Amino acid sequence: MREAISVPYFGASLKEWLFTTDHKKIGILYLTTSYIFFLVAGLFGLIIRLEQTSPGIQYVQPDFYNYLLTGHGAVLLLWWAIASHIGGFGNFLLPLMIGAKDVAFPRLNALSWWAFFGASVLVLLTLIPGNHIKMMWTGYPPYSTTGDAGVTALYVFIIHLIGVSSIATAVNFITTYIKMRAPGINFWNTNMFVHCLIAANVIQLVGVPSLAGAVTMLLLDKYLGTNFYNPTKGGDPLLYQNVFWFYSHPVVYVQILPVFGFFSELVPTFARRPLFGYKTMIFAVWGITLLSFMVWIHHMFVSGVPDWARVIMSYTTILIAVPTGIKIFNWMGTLHGGAIILRSPMLYALGGIFMFLIGGLTGIPNSMVAIDLGISDSLFIVGHFHYVLGMALTLGLFGAIIYWFPKMTGRMYPEGLGKLSFWLTFIGANLFYFFQMVVGMLGNPRRYPDYPPIPEWVTLHQIQTLGALILGLGVLVFTIGIIKGLLSGEKAPDNPWQSQSLEWRIPSPAPVDNFGEEHPKVEPDYHPYKYGAPPAF
Amino acid sequence: MEQVFAYPAKWWSEAVTVWLVVAVVIYVIVAIPGLYFIMKYRFKPGEREIGDHEKHGHWGLEALWTIVPTIIVLVLATYSFAVFKKQRTAPPDAMTIKVTGFMWGWQTEYLDEKGNTIKTVVTSFNPTSYEVPEDQKIVVPAGKPVKALLTSLDVIHSFYVMPARITEDMVPGRITHLWFQINKPGEYWIFCREFCGTGHSHMFTKLKVVPPEQFALWLKGETNLADKSSQIKGNL
Repeated sequence: MREAISVPYFGASLKEWLFTTDHKKIGILYLTTSYIFFLVAGLFGLIIRLEQTSPGIQYVQPDFYNYLLTGHGAVLLLWWAIASHIGGFGNFLLPLMIGAKDVAFPRLNALSWWAFFGASVLVLLTLIPGNHIKMMWTGYPPYSTTGDAGVTALYVFIIHLIGVSSIATAVNFITTYIKMRAPGINFWNTNMFVHCLIAANVIQLVGVPSLAGAVTMLLLDKYLGTNFYNPTKGGDPLLYQNVFWFYSHPVVYVQILPVFGFFSELVPTFARRPLFGYKTMIFAVWGITLLSFMVWIHHMFVSGVPDWARVIMSYTTILIAVPTGIKIFNWMGTLHGGAIILRSPMLYALGGIFMFLIGGLTGIPNSMVAIDLGISDSLFIVGHFHYVLGMALTLGLFGAIIYWFPKMTGRMYPEGLGKLSFWLTFIGANLFYFFQMVVGMLGNPRRYPDYPPIPEWVTLHQIQTLGALILGLGVLVFTIGIIKGLLSGEKAPDNPWQSQSLEWRIPSPAPVDNFGEEHPKVEPDYHPYKYGAPPAF
Repeated sequence: MEQVFAYPAKWWSEAVTVWLVVAVVIYVIVAIPGLYFIMKYRFKPGEREIGDHEKHGHWGLEALWTIVPTIIVLVLATYSFAVFKKQRTAPPDAMTIKVTGFMWGWQTEYLDEKGNTIKTVVTSFNPTSYEVPEDQKIVVPAGKPVKALLTSLDVIHSFYVMPARITEDMVPGRITHLWFQINKPGEYWIFCREFCGTGHSHMFTKLKVVPPEQFALWLKGETNLADKSSQIKGNL
């Protein structure tokens, strides 16, 4: 009777939380921080949206608008889209899913968290009026080396601290997966979330140094008078774009792969059926990982790079549609013949897949270089990546938060609020981003606080603002659900979703020592998606 | 024969149509069965409590949805390659202009056969409205291909000729290029689409397309094009 003696991992003093090396506590620290940052950056986005509702300057001056855009992009990409599922869910779930006591290097893990915390503090410092960064999250020179761009140094140090944190986490997780699996857990019966997490961390390990190099040269150029990117002294601004995108394109797969992992966990559980094409899913994940480093020029299709480079990267980019397509087909195959339970995590997962389908199909014109020449840097691309990275990712994360809420907190997320927030978020987001793509196709450039009063543009912007308000309401309802669940949620059983996966075999909330021994006993025919028996509810 | 409005916009629109058809077909093929499965295979207590747990995959199907999409995307990329070649290669009879971006405006130079500047138009920064003074518009002849050589004085800008659906960045220290041809006289938008600071959203101008005879007079300085007869309002 382990339930009787189980002590929840969070039953610890403040001092223990501050000095913790426990993967579960560190995961919760990451997740809480990135959720708060998500809300703030989302508010930034709402102000950006309101400003564009009608032509002219309404609420914010262009300089402040540029700061909001920079903050919105950088924080949502680095905090919400990376730290929440790698630092947050990755930390919490990786050892539980492979049957380990902790990660391989717990103290290094704490160091990762504190480096991330340092970066978070630096981000907060940019809120002080004199510290605004206004050069967009991409920070292209020569603009970023001018005084107009704001405090470039803060940006560089934020990237450096996040980079230290990411590399340490990547080394830690990859080692953990290779060395710490419970006997009986192997490559062919590992959870898809873990496969995706490890692939994402391989990208981090290979790519982050490139980004760190790009911004270090930026720092030297701006403050110490070197000329890496200065065209008047023999440098080249396109060097930055190449080195920057060499990491910053693969990073979108760091962001989306773990979300594919969430979909692959949630869909079989709620369809009561094994994941369709599990093995091709694994090949697809690693195919995406490999291709991700061969496509970065598609961010520079109009930057003046040679035409042959654009054509080659156009082919490699469009090929990414194949492995991502395989994943969508396999999720559909999992639904076929299932016994589908539409609880709120499943709604979020299905909604996320639906958003990703549109996001994927609208990615194709960005890879077809002929079409990209006409839509590059328009609001079309903004709408596209808000479908994939914005909403497919956020819906996946919301689903994951509801799904693992019992294991993290010992309580259930309120189901009614979960469903309500899903429909609000889903409808609002589609209204918003679909019409953003339409106005982009008509030619509206991105990063514009003001635009000419072309009648169709104005109408389309008003529809977007309506969508954004509904989306904002959805996020608010979801947040209220988290608070309500924490304070007065129903007490959770150990395995509320009747999952077959390893992490559900321990009590809810997870006990301090995970499985209570070095490794849990894993039966020889264990598989996380072995749904052969009716659920006990 | 139908009058073509602008190049390379014509080919661009065709490519967008091809993509849109493929995308809608794929969307229907995936989303309709997906929704149908969600409706049909629903959990029912006592009736349908477990899914089909024997089927873990289907090699034939999985091979099918690997190979067919690969062929589709390779065809699309090759088609786009063919269009791209036309978009990037200016016809030999194109006239050349040189456009230099700065924070936040443009300087347009008209060159003669030897490459000497014969006329310069400067569009200055207008932070409050989207009006362009008559003498600051970029004037080009209708029905004649124009090759624009692009560069920048300070930071990276871009040159988006909206009616022609073509963009290229203006990079300091480099000369990039694009070409376009507008067949219908009128006034059209030009925007900067690469982020360039506070005035980014007001880095714009109007492209004034006039009949070739008028353009020749304007280039020689014999008309300022301000008389009403030559003004045709267009907004595309």
